Amino acid sequence: MNMSLPDGRDGRKIIGDLANHYLLRQEQPRAKNVGIYDTFDWRLFEKSLVLYSSEGELILHRLSDYKIVQRTKVSSFHNFVWDFPDGSLKTLLTPIVEMRRLLKLTEIRSQSTVYRILNKERKTVVRLNYEEIRRGAQARHRTSCVHLHVEPVRGYPKYYRTTVARLGKMGFVQIKPETIYFEALKERNKTPGKYSSKLKLQLQPEMRSDEAAKIILRSLFGIMKVNEDYIGEDLDTEFLHDFRVAVRRTRVALSQIKGVFPADTTKKFQRDFANLGKLSNELRDLDVYLLKESAYKKMLPDSLRDEINPLFEFLKNKRLTVLGDVKNGLSSRESAKVFRTWENFLDEPPEGSSTAPNAEIPVVKLARKRIHKRYIKILRTGAQLLEEANGERLHALRIECKKLRYLIEFFSSLFPGKKIAFLIKELKTLQDNLGDFNDLCIQQAYLRKTVDELPIADHQAKMTTLAIGSLIGNLEEQIQAVKGSFSEIFTRFASPAHRGLFHELFKSTKGRATP
Amino acid sequence: MKILAIYSNKGGVGKTTAAVNLSFLAAEAGLKTLVCDLDPQSSASYYFRVKPKLKRNVRGFRKGGKNIEKSIKGTDYENLDILPADFTHRNLASTFNKLKRPKRRLSRVLDPLRAEYNLIMLDCPPSIGLLAENIFNVADYLLVPVIPTTLSLRTHVQLLSFLKKKRYDADKIYAFFSLVDKRKKMHKELMATISRQFKGVLHSSIPSLSNIERMGIEREPVPAFAPRSVAAKSYRDLWQEVRATLLD
Repeated sequence: MNMSLPDGRDGRKIIGDLANHYLLRQEQPRAKNVGIYDTFDWRLFEKSLVLYSSEGELILHRLSDYKIVQRTKVSSFHNFVWDFPDGSLKTLLTPIVEMRRLLKLTEIRSQSTVYRILNKERKTVVRLNYEEIRRGAQARHRTSCVHLHVEPVRGYPKYYRTTVARLGKMGFVQIKPETIYFEALKERNKTPGKYSSKLKLQLQPEMRSDEAAKIILRSLFGIMKVNEDYIGEDLDTEFLHDFRVAVRRTRVALSQIKGVFPADTTKKFQRDFANLGKLSNELRDLDVYLLKESAYKKMLPDSLRDEINPLFEFLKNKRLTVLGDVKNGLSSRESAKVFRTWENFLDEPPEGSSTAPNAEIPVVKLARKRIHKRYIKILRTGAQLLEEANGERLHALRIECKKLRYLIEFFSSLFPGKKIAFLIKELKTLQDNLGDFNDLCIQQAYLRKTVDELPIADHQAKMTTLAIGSLIGNLEEQIQAVKGSFSEIFTRFASPAHRGLFHELFKSTKGRATP
Repeated sequence: MKILAIYSNKGGVGKTTAAVNLSFLAAEAGLKTLVCDLDPQSSASYYFRVKPKLKRNVRGFRKGGKNIEKSIKGTDYENLDILPADFTHRNLASTFNKLKRPKRRLSRVLDPLRAEYNLIMLDCPPSIGLLAENIFNVADYLLVPVIPTTLSLRTHVQLLSFLKKKRYDADKIYAFFSLVDKRKKMHKELMATISRQFKGVLHSSIPSLSNIERMGIEREPVPAFAPRSVAAKSYRDLWQEVRATLLD
């Protein structure tokens, strides 16, 4: 159990008073610095986990009860999970943290003294860990809080109960075990869970459509701004990714939430954001290839695994140049102007319906109409694909699905949550299939193109070309497999039950629209 | 998860001191460890300052389950728990004998604890009857302390032929020399002979040292109260070898 003292009381003295009641043995005080880590988008916190690094050890706690989930010794701290030593901590963290950098959120200094309560046999029956925590790692930092961890010893529950009761009488109050974490972050003005790339919107069904559109767009602009600052620092690949997704969603919102703003305004911003997105297309592609390095190597036979290295060296170097271009592009006067005019536009009061026919209609009505239209289009394109799966149409369908997905997500708060979640899950299965197909095709084409660009000497070039050829072959097999599974996945997506649900939610305008 | 029995059919060979010190070192190395004190003399419980008392004594033990879990005590050390002995353990064999499958009763008692611990170390009383057979059945390995004397050697031969007769796997028997006096020529000679003649004799040995006897006064494992002593080092060496040979 964790306890704390109201401010201004001397905890050590109170502990000393315990000696009047118990045989007490004090151990050597120990001091340590503790670094607290999480990703920018709070992936550990979202899973109710906390990662500490202290004295050459990484310790993963569960936030709810502060139990240790995993711990492992490390020679130095690595910011990416793939650099962690192999073992259960790495296995556990990899799917959660993925490619994100672990950032040090804060560092605290903890000085703790263990007091053991002994019975008549001088056997330890309760442990008290008295911990003073300072704001920073240096000695000059003042103690910011005091915690007492009361730890039972197995088989001696009575001693534990009486000790806790006595400490309570002496003025200690019980606190939640995660308090230390939150207090330490509060000192640094950090709020766990504050940033997420997911949209969390709350729209009202009867609100004006232009107003609702601006709420959506403002939220997306927020995500853009937060990530833009970090893209140049190149901490990990996902700042750019989240930024790009927000740009793409903005473009979809502008094109799909039709008629809520004057047509020329919409067109202008659509162009602006298309250019802003294009700026970083190549960088994102390179990021994707480099993230896939180990996956690619796994596709190759052992003998060719190292031969592919020149390709990745080449891509890494190229990425540095491209990153420079993106940095310049984002900090250019043109980009600044786009952001400024966009922000001004978002702050403007809504206009009348003379220039924008849908501006004043209730958003739920417009949402239904737009989503339903997109859905019908997908059914049509998909039906054609069932007859003959061709690459171009699959690509077109992928774009259609993306638009539908974004639209549903923008307006999800207007419809019953469970049904929306179900539809998104089903749509995601289809999107994954189409996405895989597209990614594989692009990768294959890119590899083909890159062979010509590789600046390497003769023999090595042959071996590397051989390895790339082997990769292209492997990708081809995957492409055929993904293509082969399309019809089954699409048929499920377009099943009568799913159609029924889409119609129920989005077709009838008479039905109630409640969240 | 491994079960390691410190066993000998001879008394006073250093079983309990080995069980206490090795389990301490195992826990220190990060293994969640349980010492199971099966000896009615309850010396291991004494060393850990735990009362030799089980919930519902030998009947509770026989039944296993909740009775056992409630009887387990945390020691003064992280990762190390003890299932204390009970004076009624002297009747353990006859209690088992009244039940079905009497040679596998101990397995039934310990099975539910397997999930919680990485290592269970049995401190066994000297015996070669039904209780010993229970131990042979449940343990992954038997670690036998052998004093380099002719009588001790004779006992070891007895044990091996008993195992052979009862068709137990003699490969899980490992021995180490205990209470060794390096000044005695006879000790040295016998150790050399035994290491040649028998399989599974470990290289590390435990000398006869006053610090080991002092455990009775300190009531702590040697590496806890005299971490830099020769005695502590001998146990550390033995632990390293046991871990590398039997546990990894």
